[in-house]
Amino acid sequence: MKMKLLCMILSTAMVAAVLSGCGNSEAEAPAATGTADEAEEQTEAPTAEEAETEQTEAPVADTGEPVTLTVLAGQSTTDAGIEDMIDEALAEAYPNITLEWECVDWGNDFQPKMQQYMQSGLPDIMIGKAQDVATYAPQGILGEIDTTYLDRGLDAARQNVTIDGKTYGLVYNALYQGVYYNKDMFAENGWSVPKTQEELQVIIDDCKAKGITPFASHMVDTWSIGNVTMQFAMNDVFNKDAEWGDKFRAGEVSFAEDEAMQTAYQYNKLIFDNTYPETFSTEQTDCDAKMVLGEAAMKVSGSWSIQNFLDIDESFNFGIFPFPNQTGDSKLIFEPNITIMTSAESEHQDAINCVLDVLTNDKDLAVEIYDYTKTAPMLKDVTPTFPNPSQEDIDAYASADQIVDVTLGNNQLVWGGFQEENAKDIAAWLQGDISFEDCLAASDARVGTSSAN
Amino acid sequence: MQKTGKQSMEKKLEKQYLVMVLPGFVIFTIGLIIPLLLAVRYSVTSWDGMSKVKEFVGIQNYINLWKDADFWSAWWFTIKFTIGNTIIQNVLALLFAMALDSGIKAQKLYRTAFFVPCLISSIIVGFIWLKMFSNVLPEFNEMLGTNINFLLFGSGSTVLSGLLIANNWQWIGYRMLIYLAGLQSVPFDLYEAAKVDGAGPISRFFKITIPMLAPAITICVVGIATGSLKVYDLLVASTKGGPGRASTSVINQTYTTAINGRQYGYGSAMSVTLVVVLLLVAMIQVKGLKSKEVQA
Repeated sequence: MKMKLLCMILSTAMVAAVLSGCGNSEAEAPAATGTADEAEEQTEAPTAEEAETEQTEAPVADTGEPVTLTVLAGQSTTDAGIEDMIDEALAEAYPNITLEWECVDWGNDFQPKMQQYMQSGLPDIMIGKAQDVATYAPQGILGEIDTTYLDRGLDAARQNVTIDGKTYGLVYNALYQGVYYNKDMFAENGWSVPKTQEELQVIIDDCKAKGITPFASHMVDTWSIGNVTMQFAMNDVFNKDAEWGDKFRAGEVSFAEDEAMQTAYQYNKLIFDNTYPETFSTEQTDCDAKMVLGEAAMKVSGSWSIQNFLDIDESFNFGIFPFPNQTGDSKLIFEPNITIMTSAESEHQDAINCVLDVLTNDKDLAVEIYDYTKTAPMLKDVTPTFPNPSQEDIDAYASADQIVDVTLGNNQLVWGGFQEENAKDIAAWLQGDISFEDCLAASDARVGTSSAN
Repeated sequence: MQKTGKQSMEKKLEKQYLVMVLPGFVIFTIGLIIPLLLAVRYSVTSWDGMSKVKEFVGIQNYINLWKDADFWSAWWFTIKFTIGNTIIQNVLALLFAMALDSGIKAQKLYRTAFFVPCLISSIIVGFIWLKMFSNVLPEFNEMLGTNINFLLFGSGSTVLSGLLIANNWQWIGYRMLIYLAGLQSVPFDLYEAAKVDGAGPISRFFKITIPMLAPAITICVVGIATGSLKVYDLLVASTKGGPGRASTSVINQTYTTAINGRQYGYGSAMSVTLVVVLLLVAMIQVKGLKSKEVQA
């Protein structure tokens, strides 16, 4: 009898614990995440005067009070290591401020970490990509960035981190995406930069005739398939129709019916048919090495490959051009990369501003970071010193206004849960596991996850 | 007087039980039961994992699961992986254990060599075999002038084989030790008596060794099956669920759906089905195998 009683007490305790757990999660949610309205109220709470005062006063002088700021850094492959540079510069300028870093891979872990922290409380600073602003700002959890710091950056990337007139991200550097090519090989073979699919095909045919692999690729990394697909889609779809994603969600267009989007998918087959057979077993480093060693003529990639190119051979002579589209008017892809976001509810706004001050004002630090990551600056009057043979191409496209921000496409069709998943289907199609029609149908069926909100 | 003493002793024991059970009970409840019940709760909502709103959708998520080709494809891979592992690992582990039990020289060396891989994290094992299949083994082709396809992770038709090799390389040594312990506990008299009765080696193996090893078989089969159904880290480090979706496990699919796809409610429904299957498999296996166990 007593054992039964004991069992009942324990069971009751368990149920009570469960109920309290369920109850707590709900009760705590508003505090941690808040509704959009609540957050709006919170972010809008200061009056215009107060806000102005905060802006002009920031950053506050060193009060001597030690402050530790938590930082969630969703890093690209190029970024690992910049946290030490920032720590060093910050220690010199504001010795009382310490950063507690949590560095994760942006592609795999940034979103899960953000979801976790949205329940338990956000870090003071979050470093992601520009497209993250569209995902998290509408949740009301991001703080507005002070114009003092925004004004030290280029205007080019501000548009896609600004929502309803408020800027929630400070874009620090940028990556360029397109077709990296071996300049010396192109010169030796008399190839010129192709602008149309026909011109590209001529180079591919000549490569094959000469025993050169036209494209280096590493399809073992599904993200690389997703990345190049968005590059293709930017030039064949979004440059023509900037609201394709919205129309997709409204049922006006679909992957199964839209020829331009199908063409973008089909370019993957063009790469697959003109790369080495072990692409599904080749990692990025090996792939980049093949390119540098002259085993392949071109690689559809982004600035993240430059680090590898130059590590393997400092004198590797490479250029970049946009992947030719159907209409011959492709633009080079520009991706705002390191984007600093802040928590709307942080108790250390002054200290956060000090960090933003160091990041945007310390030009030595900026050059050090750009040289290390081999990326393009997004700060005014800062020029990296690393040798970048593709810079003259980038400058040429920039002066011809042939550069487009990929954040447009990434906001229309989000990466996590959509582009990423579509890339798996594209891989399955290339492997012959599913038909092209099934691949398109799978993308259409995923419409519910194509938007961040 | 005696009765009163017995009663107070029982009371003391009950208090002791309570004190001893409570810490484990609290940890188990907080760490397992509550998350499990929360997962059941989320599985009937359309929560995206971020917003405050957790809209109740009833069993819609479970209905959608039936129509989700990716989910079934993940289950199909997981089942093949589980069956492959259960058969290969048990058979090879038993064979290795018998070989070591036969009194061969350097038994400790072999035992250590077989056991070491299971001390390595599955993430590392994944990287090791990714490099083995992509870089190391293909070098042999160049050295020997052969044309063996070592790129097992590079094709949907061979990726399962590659993963079975990697997983079994890691765990066979561990299972082998369990079988070895079981073999060493089988009384030698039984074999002697069987020999006298005219039983041959095969007959002795099936009529003495296997029944006497039944408890070890139960442990290994249940452990391998449940472990394989939950495979995740090995895949993340090696194939990332690819090529395409060829090696996407249920856990993998659940994670990408719930977290990357911001479909926490739907992902919770996936995880609930996995828990149910895990429980069923474990119960059926334990019940079926326990009935075959014998005592010496």
